[in-house]
Amino acid sequence: MSGVRAVRISIESACEKQVQEVGLDGTETYLQPLSMSQNLARLAQRIDFSQGSGSEEEEAAGAEGDAQDWAGAGSSAEQDDEEGLVKFQPSLWPWDSVRNNLRSALTEMCVLYDVLSIVRDKKFMTLDPVSQDTLPPKQNPQTLQLISKKKSLAGAAQILLKGAERLTKSVTENQENKLQRDFNSELLRLRQHWKLRKVGDKILGDLSYRSAGIDNSISLPCSLFPHHGTFEVIKNTDIDLDKKIPEDYCPLDVQIPSDLEGSAYIKVSIQKQSPDIGDLGTVNLFKRPLPKSKPGSPHWQIKLEAAQNVLLCKEIFAQLSREAVQIKSQIPHIVVKNQIISQPFPSLQLSISLCHSSNDKKSQKAATEKQSPEDHLYVLEHNLHLLIREFHKQTLSSIMMPHPASAPFGHKRMRLSGPQAFDKNEINSLQSSEGLLEKIIKQAKHIFLRSRTAATIDSLASRIEDPQIQAHWSNINDVYESSVKVLITSQGYEQICKSIQLQLNIGVEQIRVVHRDGRVITLSYQEQELQDFLLSQMSQHQVHAVQQLAKVMGWQVLSFSNHVGLGPIESIGNASAITVASPSGDYAISVRNGPESGSKILVQFPRNQCKDLPKSDVLQDSKWSHLRGPFKEVQWSKMEGRNFVYKMELLMSALSPCLL
Amino acid sequence: MGVTCVSQMPVAEGKNVQQTVELLTRKLEMLGAEKQGTFCVDCETYHTAASTLGSQGQAGKLMYVMHNSEYPLSCFALFENGPCLIADTNFDVLMVKLKGFFQSAKASKIETRGTRYQYCDFLVKVGTVTMGPSARGISVEVEYGPCVVANDCWNLLLEFLQSFLGSHIPGAPAVFGNRHDAVYSPADTMVQYMELFNKIRKQQQVPVSGIR
Repeated sequence: MSGVRAVRISIESACEKQVQEVGLDGTETYLQPLSMSQNLARLAQRIDFSQGSGSEEEEAAGAEGDAQDWAGAGSSAEQDDEEGLVKFQPSLWPWDSVRNNLRSALTEMCVLYDVLSIVRDKKFMTLDPVSQDTLPPKQNPQTLQLISKKKSLAGAAQILLKGAERLTKSVTENQENKLQRDFNSELLRLRQHWKLRKVGDKILGDLSYRSAGIDNSISLPCSLFPHHGTFEVIKNTDIDLDKKIPEDYCPLDVQIPSDLEGSAYIKVSIQKQSPDIGDLGTVNLFKRPLPKSKPGSPHWQIKLEAAQNVLLCKEIFAQLSREAVQIKSQIPHIVVKNQIISQPFPSLQLSISLCHSSNDKKSQKAATEKQSPEDHLYVLEHNLHLLIREFHKQTLSSIMMPHPASAPFGHKRMRLSGPQAFDKNEINSLQSSEGLLEKIIKQAKHIFLRSRTAATIDSLASRIEDPQIQAHWSNINDVYESSVKVLITSQGYEQICKSIQLQLNIGVEQIRVVHRDGRVITLSYQEQELQDFLLSQMSQHQVHAVQQLAKVMGWQVLSFSNHVGLGPIESIGNASAITVASPSGDYAISVRNGPESGSKILVQFPRNQCKDLPKSDVLQDSKWSHLRGPFKEVQWSKMEGRNFVYKMELLMSALSPCLL
Repeated sequence: MGVTCVSQMPVAEGKNVQQTVELLTRKLEMLGAEKQGTFCVDCETYHTAASTLGSQGQAGKLMYVMHNSEYPLSCFALFENGPCLIADTNFDVLMVKLKGFFQSAKASKIETRGTRYQYCDFLVKVGTVTMGPSARGISVEVEYGPCVVANDCWNLLLEFLQSFLGSHIPGAPAVFGNRHDAVYSPADTMVQYMELFNKIRKQQQVPVSGIR
């Protein structure tokens, strides 16, 4: 054996770890050795609890049959384990594994014994029968999970449902509360809009415009109208609680003074002729339908607003009538009952009346039968309201804080007039003491003058077709002044006849006419003046048109006069005249146009065309025959043509030599 | 509110102040000017009190407190070449309180009174300047209402002044040249009056022989 070469033997230790797999390249993947606890779990898995005979465990006899089964399982599992270990673990000491197994079995037995003894006491632990139809134990954890999930979900759903129920309950309760509208919440709402104060056990409110400001403590005087304007807040209790509550029921009611009840408005109108004196003061009162309430606003709001309106109208009227008595005018203002009558222009009457209708049936009836077409001047009525509010504001702002301690009281501009060195005129303009009535009369005058001017121009435009009048009214104007642009044109010749453009500035008592060339003419309020002026302008327009036409046609203007001093005297303005000569000089046309006498057109022919001209002994030479001879009048009405300028064009072209 | 020119009219030869003023007003009336009440411009001089002056002995500045009936709610306080303060008429009361700082110069009150004439857009004021009991001269103020820029209407004013002052036309007031095409303010009028008064004060009582 010694001669034999030594053979190298490689010894590998036996693999302690189990091979999981062998790769294609020969590498082996091992399973990690099990830890103690994993090992225990593995061992426990191997135990088949369902098998086995249970006889040796005497202690389990007290327990039920199921428990006996379990106990029996313990011994058989022991054997299984024993075999398995012997197979796989060849150990150093042959009985080692047996000893270990026995020992572990003993431990388990002891535990089992303990458990059973505790169970038998039924003090800390009991054993319940497991229902037979339980699912196989392998699916058990999943089912358990499902069941527990289901259970918890059901619990959550229940909580949610409970909450929802509570919420709906509270919502319905709220709605019920709203329907009921308890007195206090109403009072709170009332307080947001109106000034209230508590006097004794009453709650009084303030309707008047006497003070401004949120609180009673800082109220600034505003209106000087002496009406107290208080209303009382009362609790509406006369309702049968058993019956169904009507929808418009409101626990809060307001009681307004009887003289502020109903509806009122100021009526301003202008009449042409003055009515009989017996007719005065009987301005028909009719009830206007109450303004529709805004949805959601309580009914006391409407009531109070109406009352406040009545108060304001009364104040306006009181102020106006006071001024009407104080102001001295040429024709004194008349105040009768609920009407103020003033005469802005002769034979014109401005009446301002306070219409106040209470809610009683009698006045309603009387009103409905006398519903004549109303001649309201809504603009003035609106302006009256504006003016009184401006007046309020003025009285308010005169003591507006903050105010310099050293400065005199008064309007802000008034206060600044010292340091800014206002001169006399400026200070005078600040102290305009024009009253409400004066202002409104001025406005009425202006409105009247404006409407009459418009009517005059319109009637002229519709009456006279040739030349045409166009009026362009400005949309925006002052309360005391407005303007209109008047164009006089001839139809079809608008481009060449643009000589007359008038700007009429309508003021309070007069109309200022600004001519295109800058002349300014002042007309009084009399209707006739404007009409006459426009008529004379129209007559001048014709002559201007002839002049323009001559320029276009190539005729020569020989003479032109806006105001002819010769001939019959016109009652309105002056006649104007023009003479034009044809391009060749053979013919001449003379036009005289007066506003009243109308137009007169004469044509002058060359001498040679006049047959009836007696032969003169002096003008023997034939050259004299080219002189123009006598004039002949054209029968203008028989001329063809739609208007004056067109006729003139035809005449001119007839007299011009034919170029062909 | 317009541009104003204040000038002094010398007393005509052989006439006294009163007669010269009458001469002027007659001329104005013949022009067609309309009489519109009277006017008055007064001026009081204050000097800074000795207690507030520095030890260097610097001369105290003079302050003039003036009133103009054209601006009835205002009071003007001016320093020579200095600022002009426009205040409420309450300022007079304030001056009494400021006695410690400003002291009224004795018998320094100078004023001009006369008639106010309106001639179209022109406002003419011819006044007699008096200091205490004695008449010292004649002031002529012409205001042209529609304009606020002095240099734009100076020629117009000059021409108008010529029409009734004859050869005694004044030169352009110093305030006109200060700022080119600046808006004329009432303070400028008062500065002119202040200068006029100072001039008359310095003249001493030489040419008042005409006064009886």
